[in-house]
Amino acid sequence: MATLTADRKSALRRELESIVGRGGVLSEPDELLVYESDGLTLFRALADFVVFPTCVEHVAALVRVAQREALPFVARGAGTGLSGGCLPAEGGLVISLMRMNRVLEVDYDNQFAVVEPGLVNLHLSWAVGPQGFYYAPDPSSQQACTIGGNIANNSGGPHTLKYGVTVNHVLGLEVVMPDGEIVWLGGKTRDGLGYDLAGVFVGSEGTFGIATKIVVRILRKPQAVKTVLAVFDQIAQASAAVSAIIARGLVPAAVEMIDQLTIQAVEDAFGCGYPRDAAAALLIEVDGLREGLDAQADRIVAACRESGAREVRTAADEAERQLLWKGRKSAFGAYGRISPAYMVMDGVIPRTKLPYVLERVNEIVTAHGLRVGNVFHAGDGNLHPNILYDPRKPGEEARVVAAGAEIMKVCAEVGGSISGEHGIGLEKSDFMPFIFSAADLAFMQRLKTAFNPTGLCNPGKVFPTKKSCGETGPVAYRPHPIEERGLAQRF
Amino acid sequence: MAGPSKLDALLDRLRATLGAAHVLTGADRSPFVIEGRTPDVVVFPGSADDVVAVVQQAGAAGIPVLPWGGGTAAAVGPAPSRGGVVLGLKRLARVVEHEPGDLTVTAEAGLTLDALQSALRARGQWLSLDPPDAARATLGGLIAANASGPRRHLYGTVRDLLIGVTVVTADGTVVHGGGKVVKNVAGYDLPKLFVGSYGTLGIVVSATFKLRPLPEDERLVAVTFERLKDCGAAARTVLAGDLIPTAIEILDAAAGAPLGLGGVSLVVGFDGLREQVEAQASALAALAASLGGRQATTLAPAAWARLAAAAREAFASPAAVMSLSVLPTTVSDMMEQGMEAARRRGLASAWAAHAGVGAVTAALAAEREASTVAAVLAEWRAMARAAGGHATLVWAPLAVKSEVPVWDDAGAAGRIMQRIKAQLDPNNVLNPGRFIAGI
Repeated sequence: MATLTADRKSALRRELESIVGRGGVLSEPDELLVYESDGLTLFRALADFVVFPTCVEHVAALVRVAQREALPFVARGAGTGLSGGCLPAEGGLVISLMRMNRVLEVDYDNQFAVVEPGLVNLHLSWAVGPQGFYYAPDPSSQQACTIGGNIANNSGGPHTLKYGVTVNHVLGLEVVMPDGEIVWLGGKTRDGLGYDLAGVFVGSEGTFGIATKIVVRILRKPQAVKTVLAVFDQIAQASAAVSAIIARGLVPAAVEMIDQLTIQAVEDAFGCGYPRDAAAALLIEVDGLREGLDAQADRIVAACRESGAREVRTAADEAERQLLWKGRKSAFGAYGRISPAYMVMDGVIPRTKLPYVLERVNEIVTAHGLRVGNVFHAGDGNLHPNILYDPRKPGEEARVVAAGAEIMKVCAEVGGSISGEHGIGLEKSDFMPFIFSAADLAFMQRLKTAFNPTGLCNPGKVFPTKKSCGETGPVAYRPHPIEERGLAQRF
Repeated sequence: MAGPSKLDALLDRLRATLGAAHVLTGADRSPFVIEGRTPDVVVFPGSADDVVAVVQQAGAAGIPVLPWGGGTAAAVGPAPSRGGVVLGLKRLARVVEHEPGDLTVTAEAGLTLDALQSALRARGQWLSLDPPDAARATLGGLIAANASGPRRHLYGTVRDLLIGVTVVTADGTVVHGGGKVVKNVAGYDLPKLFVGSYGTLGIVVSATFKLRPLPEDERLVAVTFERLKDCGAAARTVLAGDLIPTAIEILDAAAGAPLGLGGVSLVVGFDGLREQVEAQASALAALAASLGGRQATTLAPAAWARLAAAAREAFASPAAVMSLSVLPTTVSDMMEQGMEAARRRGLASAWAAHAGVGAVTAALAAEREASTVAAVLAEWRAMARAAGGHATLVWAPLAVKSEVPVWDDAGAAGRIMQRIKAQLDPNNVLNPGRFIAGI
């Protein structure tokens, strides 16, 4: 990629300002730094410009400029992604959708909302909550992440076990195609017309275009909810309980597992009432009609006890329920108490392979001289091993990356997947051959070409870049420039 | 029709690959005539490798390939422009893997839905799809045609349940998409691409689905109404309330008659624990009575299977069948206007809707000249479009199809669909000319 000359850059800056206004373009190095990574800080890259459109016409105009100049461009939401998916190529445009964050329309009778991509996930539930509705997909970052980012990654969350992931809630999208054309994929009705372009667009990690309006389903809040905490002395018992619940024909809204190391971190940080000496806890939720909910909870309690739970308790009220969920949802932050850094892994396995894989994960991480905490969506087999490490210790980051690759291989070997909800992005592009053949990838590449023929829309993501899959991409730890200047520190 | 020598050479190759018993020519082809067009040959490959060979051999001869499951949706679309090779999947009919603890199943594409359901039922599970003709409809076919039934209200459609596919592409390559785990965002979501693609992008040879445990209890409750308007209002009230029905159906008198329903009916399904079903059925009866409904009755379980095709089966031989996708709140108005439009031209019609999701099907009775039938259909489509929806002419005689396009106008999205087709099937081998946007 040729670097822009200073003259060219300032001319381009003026042109971009003519589209989005003077306050809508960043190009100074210290401003651009904020946008050089997402939630996975192992990867970094600087754009030439970060631009802030406020309407679809802006986005289309920006994309046309990028194509004319052969500059790569990438859409960005809140930057909470965990796979480097919204990183710029070196140079080019980051198109931030954060100023397009309105709820445009809510149709309660037909149970959908039309929103802009920069809307924060949780803010949609807040907007429709007073009418008794909510937006079901609930990634753990839902207080910050945007619906547009959720579209890119087909995000999940704890309650996807019963309610499905983002794509199950998207009816249609207005999209700026990589050539600047504005097109509707799907619409407001349930059945689309022709190929399911909206369905294919969701989860395409920003490589098919930029969504500028999104039609999502909103659901009626359930009449009642019951939350159960089951405590186990062995991880294997907790895994068995997950299978026992499924075998009883129950479909809980969520079944989350939290291991000992994570419980202790959470208790240190927040004191949510999890027993510190437990090997593992399951947080199980059922919801729906008031009628029959107790019976379902009773069956879950019985399944847990039969699997060897030493304690099973049902949240007595909403406050206790919120506290239990706080423990789960704040687990990532709590790791900060016990480790300078951690890397979140995301893999999926068939539920029945849970005991075997958890043991393998532990062996792998231990063999690399590291520690792992597990907090994950056990009900649908979506693992999140979090490898704790200290980036300042030479070589430690490389061992984390190596352990991560081995864990992904185990997921693939048992018939699983290398990502359940975080996406492939940059992080796992070289792991794609673990689960896809060259023919599979070539077919996907042709699909990408149909949407994105020049490849300028979010280049370098999803597809493997190297011949050898053993080598991985991330750079060794280097202090972030704002750390070097003493403006921030790692903790 | 392919040139005779080219076709003869292809037939020889196909017989050598598949065995002569699995290559049908002459009169044996008659059950596989598609919209008046007799295929050049009908073949039944016995494995994915066989499918690869057929696609490659046909492709090399420049002869199109038309995938065929149970034939239940073969009439959807314009007539093929030429005969081609009908590729039947009935020999690929195994359950490959069912692990109840994982709530997933992988099966070959030629397996019928009924056969799959009975295998699953034996182990307490089911695939939550209930399209019509489940005895004939195959898994590959229901993916290709995006078939659904009344329970889609709660459990969604193929796109919500299909988690992995293996397909043979237009150039005869085996490609996998998705996987066999219930949550998976690795790579593009290829399963979505094949749902509703009518065999134009690849031939599905096996598929993996999410499953559900069989409910403890299930019930179908019907309430008849004097007026369609009141029935529609009742459906909207159910939709807006706390009940969690698996199905919300509206049938007009004509569509309801074969089910023994006397008049316009609201039919609502429930499942779950016995006490949940009981409580909801009572709540529905009370709600319907307060909105002008007559006595609520429980329908026999066999009624479920007839709901999905209720409008189509209202007449012994309908003049045309159209499906309309609209917003749920507009369903009963749409039905009323549509009936009136037909009546004005002297035609009776039958209407049934998955009301909670806005999926309406209408059939026209009585043979009339094609132009009258076409005029009504055009009006129905215009109605759906005016309400922000669209319509597909699911079935009609060719004379009617020549006046009313089968597929609605896909607008700008149609150009993206054409680009996808051009990328994935550049030589136009798979089911050419039968899909939307000229694909």
